[in-house]
Amino acid sequence: MDYVLHVMVMVALYAILASSFNLLIGYAGLFALSHAAFFGVGAYATAILAATYGLAFPVPLLIGIVATAALGVVIALPALRIGGDYLVIVTLALQIIVTTVLLNWTGMTGGTDGIRAIPRVELLGLKLDTPGKFLPLAAIVALACYAIAWRLGASPFGRALKAMRENEAAVQAVGKNVVAMKLAVFAIAAALASVAGSLYAHYFTFVSADSFTVELTIYLLTMVIIGGTGNLAGSLVGAVVLAVLPEALKFIDMPSDIADKTRLMLYGVLLIVMLRLRPQGLLPESASAHHYDAPVERPPVATQLQGAALEGEGLSKRFGGIVAVSGVDIRIESGKITGLIGPNGAGKTTAFNLLTGFLQPNDGQVHYRGQSLRGLKPHQIVRAGVARSFQDLKLFTGLTVLENVLVALPDQRGDKLAYVYFAPWLVRKQERENLGRAMAILEFVGLDARAADLASDLSYAEEKLLVVARLLATGAEALLFDEPLSGLAPNALAKVMPIFKRLAQSGRTICIIEHNLDVIRELCDTVVFLDEGRKLAQGTPEQLMSDPELSERYFK
Amino acid sequence: MDLLAQLFVNGLVNGSHYALLALGFGLIFGTTRVTHFAFGPVYALSAYGCWFIASALAAPLWLAMLGGVLTGALAGVFAYLVVYRPFERKGSTSLVILIASLGFFIVLENLIGVVFGTDTKVVPAPPSGIFLWGPLVVTGVQLVQIAALILVGSALGLYLTRTRMGKAVLAMTDNPEMARVIGIDTLRVSLIAFALGSAIAAVPAGLILIKDGATPHMGFLAVFMAFVAVVVGGVGSLKGAVIGGLVLGLIESTGMIRIPTEWQSSVAFVVLFIVLLVRPRGLFGGR
Repeated sequence: MDYVLHVMVMVALYAILASSFNLLIGYAGLFALSHAAFFGVGAYATAILAATYGLAFPVPLLIGIVATAALGVVIALPALRIGGDYLVIVTLALQIIVTTVLLNWTGMTGGTDGIRAIPRVELLGLKLDTPGKFLPLAAIVALACYAIAWRLGASPFGRALKAMRENEAAVQAVGKNVVAMKLAVFAIAAALASVAGSLYAHYFTFVSADSFTVELTIYLLTMVIIGGTGNLAGSLVGAVVLAVLPEALKFIDMPSDIADKTRLMLYGVLLIVMLRLRPQGLLPESASAHHYDAPVERPPVATQLQGAALEGEGLSKRFGGIVAVSGVDIRIESGKITGLIGPNGAGKTTAFNLLTGFLQPNDGQVHYRGQSLRGLKPHQIVRAGVARSFQDLKLFTGLTVLENVLVALPDQRGDKLAYVYFAPWLVRKQERENLGRAMAILEFVGLDARAADLASDLSYAEEKLLVVARLLATGAEALLFDEPLSGLAPNALAKVMPIFKRLAQSGRTICIIEHNLDVIRELCDTVVFLDEGRKLAQGTPEQLMSDPELSERYFK
Repeated sequence: MDLLAQLFVNGLVNGSHYALLALGFGLIFGTTRVTHFAFGPVYALSAYGCWFIASALAAPLWLAMLGGVLTGALAGVFAYLVVYRPFERKGSTSLVILIASLGFFIVLENLIGVVFGTDTKVVPAPPSGIFLWGPLVVTGVQLVQIAALILVGSALGLYLTRTRMGKAVLAMTDNPEMARVIGIDTLRVSLIAFALGSAIAAVPAGLILIKDGATPHMGFLAVFMAFVAVVVGGVGSLKGAVIGGLVLGLIESTGMIRIPTEWQSSVAFVVLFIVLLVRPRGLFGGR
C-alpha cells in the first residue's frame, strides 16, 4: 500500500512539473529544455535552507520560488532574441551549466555527494515521514499549482501567449509586449517547478545533482507531448501515464539497472511513436469556451473619430549594401485612403516596417499626432495609434476567428497578471464587454458566422477579411494595410472595398499597399509611387497612371 | 608561459576533436536541417563497434577503427531512414523532428547500456607513445587526433568540391529547396549526409575509445559540443564548423589558466551565449 501511495506522490510532483512545462512549450511555444534545472534549483534551495540553515516549511519553498523565478528570467533573456532550434540548444546548455554548478559548488551544494538529512515537513505537530502522510500535502500543493497554471492558460494573457506561439510578429502588431510575456511565463513556469523541487527535497530528504539532468527534462517533455501540448489536463494524463508505466515493468523479471534502462528506452519509443501517430497528444488543445449567443452589447465599429496624419520624413533603410528605402517622405492624411504602389522590391513593405517600428530607420523621422515614433517598439506604436497588417497575413491559425480578434483588442486587464490572479472578476467583466466588441467587428466584416471556427479552416477570402477585422480590433486610428485585397475574386472585392471606404469616412488614417489598379482607382484619394526605394511621384490615381515614365516602370 | 603553451597544445588537440565532431554534425544539420541529437549515441555506438572488433574479435586497431566507421555510417543511415524520414515525408515541423531525435537519443543511449553494460570499455594494448618537444608533452594518440582532422577534413573538402555527389551535397547545404527544384535527389543526398556525417564522427569516437575508453553516456557531451561548434562557426558553413570546433577547444583549454577545471564544460556554453547574443549567424554563417 505504501508503494501505491509513493507512486501517487510522484504523480503529484510530475503533475506540477508537466503542467508548468506545458505553459512554456505548449502555450507560449518557447522550447526551453531547462525545466529539470528549475526543478533542481528549487530542490537544492530547500535542501540548503532547511538542512544547513534550519528554516522550517514553508519558508525554504517560498525563498526557492523567488530564486528559481529569478533564474527563469535569466534563462528567458536569450529567448527574447532567438527562437526554435537555437533556443533549444541555449536552454539545454543553461541546464548543463546549472548541473555543473550544483556538482561543483561543493561548499554550498555538497558537490557530488549532494545534501542529505533534509528535515521533513512538520505540520501541526505531525511529521510527514511516510508516503501516506506526505500525500495530502503533495496533492493539495499540486492542485494549487495546477490551478495557477490553469488560470494563466485560460486568461487573456494565456490567449496572448498562444497567439505569440502562432506568430510572434503578428502578436506584436496587435499591441502585445512579447518581452514582458516571455519573462512572465518563464518566471511562473520556473517558480512552479521549484515548488515541486521543494516538495521533492522534503519527501526524499536527499538531493543530488544527477536527479536533475537533461534526461529528466526529456522525460517531462514526453509527458507533455503525450498528454497534449496546450492542454493542461493532458499534462496530468501524461504525468500519470509516465509515472505508472515503469511500474508495469516490475512484473517482468530483470536486474534493476537493466530495468531502469529499459524503462527509459520505452519512454523514448513512446515519445517517437506518439509524435508519429498523434503529435497533438491525447487531449486536444483547449480552446476557450465562449457563449456566442449570449446577448452581449455590440458597440458600433466605424465610429466617427478625430484622425491625425501619420508622417514619415526622409526615411532611409539600408541592409548591408542594399538600399531598401532612400529619402522617402510620406504623409498619410486622415479621412482619406492613401495608396502605396510600385513594383515588387520597391520598398513598400519596408516603408510600412519603418513607420510601425518593425524596423528602425537609418535616417529620417516618423511622427504621429506630433509625437515622434522613433525608437518605439511595434507594440508601443500600436498603442500610440498606428497599426499594420501583413502581406502574408500572419493569422493566428491555431486560434479561432473570434480569438484572433479578441487578442487584438486594446487595454485588456486580462493581459496583466496582477488582474488575472487578484481581480479575476474584473477580467471576466471586461472579457464579456470585449466579446461584444469582437463580435461587432466580425459582423462589420461579415465573418460573424465563422466566429467559432479555427482561422486555419477559413477560405482565402475569409482570411483576408479576418486580417482586416484583427487590424480594426487594435483600436488604432492609423491603419496600414499591406496588400489587403490581393488575390480576391471580383465578387469578394465588391464586398470588401466598401469597408475601407467606411473606415476612411469615419475619420481614420488609412494607407494600403496594392497592386490591383482597379482597386487603387476605386479606393485611393491619393497615391504614392515608390520604386527602387525612392518616392518617384504622388498624386491622384489618374495622374499617376497617365504619367509616361511611371507607366514604363510599372503600369504596363 | 610553459603552462600556456601546453594548454595551447591541449586546446589544439581537443579542438581537433570538436572540429571533427562539428564537421560530422554540421554536414548532417546543414544538409538535412535535422537537429540530430541522436548524433551523440551514434558516435558512442561507433566507439563500441570499434571496441567490439578490437577486443572480442581481437582484430588490429586499424581494422577496428574501420569497423567503427562502418558502424557509425550504418547507424546514421538507420536513424535517418527509420526515425527521421517518416516525419519528413509527413511534413512534420523541424521542432517535431528535433523532439523525435531526443526520443531516439534516449532509446539508443540506453540500448547501448543494456547491450554492452555501463562499465568503461577500453581497447586491449592501446598505443602509448609520448613525445616531448621542449617543455611540451603530447601523446601519440593526441597527435593522431590532430592528424585526423587534417586528413579527414581535406578528404571531405576534396569530395565535396570535386565529385558530382559532393557538389550536390554542398548545393543542398546552401539551399535545400533550390536543390530539389533543379532535380537533385534529396533523399540520396540526405542518406549520404547522414552516412558521411556519422562516419566522420566515428573517427574521433575511435580515438577517444583508445584515449579514455567508452561509456554509454559519452555521446551526450559530443553532440552538444558539436552543436555549439556549428552554431559558433555558423550553420551551413563546414569551414565554420571546423574553426568553431578549434576555437572552442582552444578557449576551453587556455581558459584553464584562470578557471578551475571543474568549470571547464561551462566555458563552451558561455562562448555559445556570447556568440548567439552578439552575432547569431555565427562566425561564417550565411542566413
